Amino acid sequence: MQRLLPYLGYLGIMVLAYALFASGKPMKVAGLFLVSGLAVGSLYALGGIGMVVLYRASGVLNLASGAIGALGVMVAWQLQQWGWAQPITWGVAIALAAALSLVYGRLIAPGLAWRAPVVKAVATLGFALVVLGLTAFAWEDDVRKFTLPTDKAAVMILGLRVTVTRLIVVGAAFALVAGIWLYLTKTRTGLQMRALANDRDLSAMIGVNILRVESIAWGIAGVIAGFTGLMFGDLVRLEPVVITFMVIPAVTAAICGRLDNLGLVLMGGLTMGVVESLLTLSPALKSARPVAPFLIAAVVLIVMQRGQRLLFARD
Amino acid sequence: MNTKLSAGLLAAGVLLAPGIAAASTPSCGANTGEAATGAPILIGGIHGNAAPGDFSSATDAAAAYFSCVNANGGVHGRPIEYMVENDQWNPELAARAAAKLVTDAGVVAMVGNSSFVEMSVNAPLYASSNTMAMAAGCAASECFESSNIVSTNQGPLPSSVGAAMYAVEELGATSVACIGLAIPSVGNWSCGAVEEYMASKGLSGASVLMNPAAPDVNSALLEAIASGADSMLVNLPVGLGIAYFGVAQEQDLGDVYSWTSSTPIYDASVPGALGDYWHGKVYVSAELTQIDGDGPDNLNWQAVMDAYASEDDPRDIFSQSGYLAAKFFVETLMDMDPAQLDDRAAVTDAIKAINGKTSDLVCGPYYVGEADRHMPNHAGIIVVVKDGGFEKVRDCFEYEGACFDGLIEAEKALGLR
Amino acid sequence: MTKITPSGWAGTIFFVVMILALPSLSGGQWIKIFTSTSCFIIAASGVAFMYARLGMVSLGQVALMGVGGWIMLRMNHAFNLPFEINLAVAGGITMVFGWVLAIPALRMRGLYLALITLMAAGGLEVIFSTYRFPNGGTGFWGVMPSVAAPFRRPAIATSDAAYLRYVMLATFLGFALIEAHRRLAPGRAWAMIRRSEAAALASGVNVIYYKAWAFGLSGFLAGIAGGLLAGGLGLLDAATFRASESIMLFALAVVGGARFWLGAVIAGVLYRVLPALFNDWSLDADLTLVIFGAALLHAIITAPDGLSGQIIGLFSKRKGQS
Repeated sequence: MQRLLPYLGYLGIMVLAYALFASGKPMKVAGLFLVSGLAVGSLYALGGIGMVVLYRASGVLNLASGAIGALGVMVAWQLQQWGWAQPITWGVAIALAAALSLVYGRLIAPGLAWRAPVVKAVATLGFALVVLGLTAFAWEDDVRKFTLPTDKAAVMILGLRVTVTRLIVVGAAFALVAGIWLYLTKTRTGLQMRALANDRDLSAMIGVNILRVESIAWGIAGVIAGFTGLMFGDLVRLEPVVITFMVIPAVTAAICGRLDNLGLVLMGGLTMGVVESLLTLSPALKSARPVAPFLIAAVVLIVMQRGQRLLFARD
Repeated sequence: MNTKLSAGLLAAGVLLAPGIAAASTPSCGANTGEAATGAPILIGGIHGNAAPGDFSSATDAAAAYFSCVNANGGVHGRPIEYMVENDQWNPELAARAAAKLVTDAGVVAMVGNSSFVEMSVNAPLYASSNTMAMAAGCAASECFESSNIVSTNQGPLPSSVGAAMYAVEELGATSVACIGLAIPSVGNWSCGAVEEYMASKGLSGASVLMNPAAPDVNSALLEAIASGADSMLVNLPVGLGIAYFGVAQEQDLGDVYSWTSSTPIYDASVPGALGDYWHGKVYVSAELTQIDGDGPDNLNWQAVMDAYASEDDPRDIFSQSGYLAAKFFVETLMDMDPAQLDDRAAVTDAIKAINGKTSDLVCGPYYVGEADRHMPNHAGIIVVVKDGGFEKVRDCFEYEGACFDGLIEAEKALGLR
Repeated sequence: MTKITPSGWAGTIFFVVMILALPSLSGGQWIKIFTSTSCFIIAASGVAFMYARLGMVSLGQVALMGVGGWIMLRMNHAFNLPFEINLAVAGGITMVFGWVLAIPALRMRGLYLALITLMAAGGLEVIFSTYRFPNGGTGFWGVMPSVAAPFRRPAIATSDAAYLRYVMLATFLGFALIEAHRRLAPGRAWAMIRRSEAAALASGVNVIYYKAWAFGLSGFLAGIAGGLLAGGLGLLDAATFRASESIMLFALAVVGGARFWLGAVIAGVLYRVLPALFNDWSLDADLTLVIFGAALLHAIITAPDGLSGQIIGLFSKRKGQS
């Protein structure tokens, strides 16, 4: 019950937002906004999940994941312009993102292992700037569009056409939550990752191969970043800067899961999307609706720090 | 003459890939074919090129025209030195750039300015230093509401009103949703004028304003649907505009609504980015005449670009606009007393005296005059996205609306009507 | 108590020389650059002192500058008060903002504290980009769609050069304010808290009170910086105060070195002067991002005390040898 409480809390926020902004509207209209919000929220959640996976294993909040994903999708787009088969370009994008992530994880991150988490996070910002600068330099501003074959097919949900690509995002978010949970609880590397997250010194002493485990974590994070980049490029906009700074809503979603609980990241991300979307129905608040995710995250932080105990003891 | 004709025939009908048309020799300034010598005349220009968008095509075109003038006798024999700064969409850098050009270098005028922020920041400096800016890419209301700035382009307000007029008159729209940016001097201003226009016709209009920081365009689309409109007017920067058409396509709304757009969508790469789905469905209000038009100025613009600009420089509407600002400026200098070319006050007076210059690149006459508000360009054409390019569906027409009344009065006073 | 350290002397001399020399030696564009550099030095000094004295990371400083700037412009266009009073109000209200921000943050540390300030910065970015900055229009938000109404600079500093001197003097006073705090009761309390919150609590230090004080001081400096920045141009734009800019300013404070006054100066110079130089050398703006990022990585990896730490280390080493 105690563990279900936060989930119920998010559900409560969604119901509250619905009651406040959509209650007077016909179900047909409100349903559209609800489904659209879930679709956008799943994008936030996907970004957040990638961040939390890496943070748990290595203690690094990777602000460069957006930049890495952006480079990946730009390369995929470029290869498609040159006539490469689509599946190959997706593979190249994801492989490139994984490689970049590994380069940072192997070459730079170990040197900072003993620094404060916030310094590690700021260091990834340096990497993000380098990657973003190179990407923006290589592809001058222009109008581009990245599409996936799954954009063509769609199903109707509560009156809204939802493309298969969006369903893939939602499905991937759920699959990642389940898959990572299985990986961490059922495999040996998963166990080592949890050990590492708990106490790095102790893990090193008892013979966990830190470099190897962390490399795996960076690799997984890179693959997720690459996949997320492809999805953002299709569903948000194919602009490197926009995709790079999608990390800010992603961090927000990650906070909703206390940087720790993937299920809550997913739930928090969906909540953010739904509240933001439903705010459109309020004439007074609609123009400032992107504030919603930040407010929710702030509320989550405040609610979670009730009582005297430091909730974030690991930091 | 012959080459011009064949280029015109080639250019007719379809939008050509940049650089194919116009093999003719460009005609610039005194057209002597001899390089100018002597002390240069200092001219400044500011564009914005950074993350949200590249506005440098106007200054690129102005620079190309000035190079062409310098190679053809210059202005009274003297070359023009054109100094261009990038404000990177940052107001502080915009102020710095203007201080560098106007205060430090002492340029006699600014030409081809094209930016989202520069004009709002520097308008007071231009006024206090008595410098005229013949801009080419104004995007926000501040730019049109200043005594010392005049632009060859229209900005979002006239352009969207034109789109709304076409939607009402040709596409049978009775209720238009104008989708703009939630920036008071951009979206609220221009979509507000669309609402006024619709109200004046006894029809209904709605503004759907989206925050530029929001990654989500879905809810803006839903809001527009919820407004009950039967026609959508996309009044967004090109990147966001493409995203908006993308989510509309996702909902398969191409035939449910009639679709119009303001000028930013009129860009050679847009039809490809939009895809076949939108062909024949999106009507764009263009601020200047067609990129592939066969008028003498348009052909000369293409020739100047081919001869004096880099191949990568875009050949878009802002490029035309920058060319035109530079051309009108040079013509004005040529009519001046050669002894006064370095006198900023004299140059400013000469620019303010510009009255009734015409070109096939713009529908109406270009004029400046002594006023707190300048918007000479408020008539345009309509093109439709078709077959990977654009096709003209309506020739020059003048926009209606109470917001243009003051301009029409001013034009009457100047004897232009 | 009142003894001035060598570093203090160096700082005082540095500022006196700069205030006397810089405005008369620079042209119009560099005066503009140095004015905004100076404003960001004030803001950076706030972030740096929070980081160095209390180990608290604020990723919302530039957003708080935006709050200060907004109030400054609001005051300027609403009332006919002198510049200094507007500036004091801007600093004061932003200080309250800092306190409000501190309420949820007081029990948090490290990354989580940083993240809540980032959330605040993200929220303020949306507010600024939606409602913009007052430019003389009517109503609460005071925005009109035309060129901004005139801005009143201080009576003694209406020209650009005089205004630069004014801002640099304010920067010096800002440093003096931080130094005074460091030497008096709050400084001792902060030093205890930095060592161990539990120990500070045990020895009777009111941890929450002094942490909130630090937030307030940092917010006050941000508010002053924003107000002065507004005076530089007479208007402000939302793009200046994006959440990413707040992250960048903190990053540069780390690069400069948070422990020394010189670090904040270096941070401001890197933030505003370097891009201007790149622009003058006509390097692509995208490449400046690459260089920035690489410099940040380099500084974090190799210089924990930042560039100022290396410079000051160089001097003290030489002194030790002689």
